[in-house]
Amino acid sequence: MVVDSQLMSFFTAGSLVVIGIFAALFLDNLIKKIIGLAFLADGVNLFIITMGYKPGGIVYIFLPDMVVSNFAQTASYPLPFALVLTNIVIGASTLAVILGLVIILNKRHGSLSASKILRDKGE
Amino acid sequence: MDTNALIAVMVALPIASALFLNLLDKKDRTIKILAIITAIVIPIIPLLTPYGSHFFGGYVPLAQNATLAQGLPSLITGTQLFQFHPGIMYVFTSAQQLMVFVLGLITFFAIFTFLNETKRPSGVYAFLMFMGTASVSAILLSDDIFNIFVFFEIAALAQVGIIVASGIKNNYETALKYILLGNIAGPLLLLGIVILLGVTGNVNVTDMIFTFKQGYVDPNSPVILMSLALITFGWLYASGLPPFHTIKSAVYSKALPHGAALLQAFSVFTLVAIGIIILRLFSYNPFTNIAIIGISVIAMILGITMAIVQTDYKRILGYLAVGELGYIGIGLGLGTAFGITAGLFQAVNEAIITSFLFIGFGTVLYKTRTSNTRKLGGMMYVNPRVALLVLLAGLAMAGVPPLNAFQSKLMLIQAAIQSGLPELGIIMILLSIVTFMTFMKAFYTIYMRPKPKELEILDNKIPRSTVISLVALLIICIILGLFPQIATNSLQTLAVGLV
Amino acid sequence: MSFYDIILKRIRKIQEKAEEEPITNVTASAMLTAELTLIISVLVAVVMVRLIHPVLMIIMIAAVLVIALMAMPIMPRLRREQNDDLNNMMFYVVVALGIIVALFYWGNLNV
Repeated sequence: MVVDSQLMSFFTAGSLVVIGIFAALFLDNLIKKIIGLAFLADGVNLFIITMGYKPGGIVYIFLPDMVVSNFAQTASYPLPFALVLTNIVIGASTLAVILGLVIILNKRHGSLSASKILRDKGE
Repeated sequence: MDTNALIAVMVALPIASALFLNLLDKKDRTIKILAIITAIVIPIIPLLTPYGSHFFGGYVPLAQNATLAQGLPSLITGTQLFQFHPGIMYVFTSAQQLMVFVLGLITFFAIFTFLNETKRPSGVYAFLMFMGTASVSAILLSDDIFNIFVFFEIAALAQVGIIVASGIKNNYETALKYILLGNIAGPLLLLGIVILLGVTGNVNVTDMIFTFKQGYVDPNSPVILMSLALITFGWLYASGLPPFHTIKSAVYSKALPHGAALLQAFSVFTLVAIGIIILRLFSYNPFTNIAIIGISVIAMILGITMAIVQTDYKRILGYLAVGELGYIGIGLGLGTAFGITAGLFQAVNEAIITSFLFIGFGTVLYKTRTSNTRKLGGMMYVNPRVALLVLLAGLAMAGVPPLNAFQSKLMLIQAAIQSGLPELGIIMILLSIVTFMTFMKAFYTIYMRPKPKELEILDNKIPRSTVISLVALLIICIILGLFPQIATNSLQTLAVGLV
Repeated sequence: MSFYDIILKRIRKIQEKAEEEPITNVTASAMLTAELTLIISVLVAVVMVRLIHPVLMIIMIAAVLVIALMAMPIMPRLRREQNDDLNNMMFYVVVALGIIVALFYWGNLNV
């Protein structure tokens, strides 16, 4: 059976998003929650890459010996890849801030449980 | 080629200054001078900049580039490619001018009070404030929806930084909650944006609308509805409408007063900017307006009823600020030119008045180090002048003439009646009254009832700069209240263009 | 029993429910104001259903009134529900996401 790799990739992206939301909702450990959120962001990244995929496409760099019309027909669309790169950078910096906050809270409370640390303090 | 570099300076200058301030961490004097100069320059730039657009890297559309467009085959000139925006574009009109100016003004007052209330001003804190201002200005100016997303994330990080820097009890917990929720909303907003990219092949809003209008894409396809839903969800997070109203009010209450004044201005202007993008892209779909009105009514009801039952005055103000956002949303959701003008005017007024209230009540925190209304009282004796200013701010928020919110709320009610929805007008009047009652309850417990014995009032004098900021904000409120056409004339062009 | 008595009884109930802090006149009256504001604004908002169908509006207003009177101290519950607990917030956020996506699909088919 031949499986369309783009379709499968979309399914993977979708399941990553669902797993991410599940983990963020139902897992109590903060690190696990954060891993879930990273899954969510990666699912979206994978979705963007998959969207930019073109069967039989070539890299969108115009080399001197290429024919213009051929390049125009086969080159893939560069914008999604540029967006993914930007989003990976944003995701990494956000993750760094989150983990920094978790380290401080872990030192203060001696626990990683979201229901203990991040409960309503009644104020 | 009508590209205008000053438009980019509005975003670039605060970022550059912020980076410098971050480097100068321990040099107090230099920080003060640099921060105050930048804070003065930021509101001046939009006043000097002529209207127009800026194309980053000089990548103008082919249609506007005479040299490149010469002799092109009709294969290109006849299609969308000719209008296509290849680079990031910033648009600057009279509405953007007013909103960036007001944002700059609030940044100035926040920085001004911060530098004078803090003994050793931290460069990192000023960095965060300027970074937030830069990103919200970019969100207001940008016509590129991915660029908006990038600055949305930077603004979220800057807000987290401002909370963490406050040193108020449990601020780290609130910061972590805010950023965790942001990490659900952010990727989903991006998903909405890239779905639009996949369908239209563009991230430029003008190009997307062109694609819809020309019928290249079916605007009612389920994929585009999905994208609309996801972008709306991201909008809720950025502006703090329900279900994000609890975390947004917690965020305001965990920041220092000047930080909170700035944070609420960020929320208000992000709400307006992304709301305008949603209206521009999706106003063909009548359900968009219904959804915006529905969310706004829920925000008003939940925000204001929750504000009444709080006991921490910063939390009261936080919930009131969220509730007032609903008025702006109703203006945008009505969808008529008059309604949108009223909504935008309300946004400008609310940003000013809520900053006024946060900075005003901030003096109580400065004198007593507590924000619990049950422990407070008798502050009227301590400083009657500031008490009067705070009372005037509360009157402004409730919409008492001749202050500015009266004009915008009146316009909103008229717009609601003109659109055939007088019920919205009734709800707005009712909730305005309750807003005033909530404010008076807080004002009474803090200022007018006898001072509790345990309450210690610190000996530090309220800085003159804080009082100057308050008076200046009051003057702006009165000017906008007496001459609303200053603001509405600027905002009208944008509103008419959206219908 | 007159309407006033019902309200009075409910206020006593509200006072009992707001147990986490000392009950003062201010807290009790704040709770009552919030309660009345909530019910009235929801009722006025429901009037907008008239744009869909007038009969539906009458039925909905009657239903909201009955539900509101039966479940009257709503505010203490609503307040407890809108707390600062992360799990709680996350739950409502995801529920709201589901509602928004579903409504946009349904809304476009039916409006």
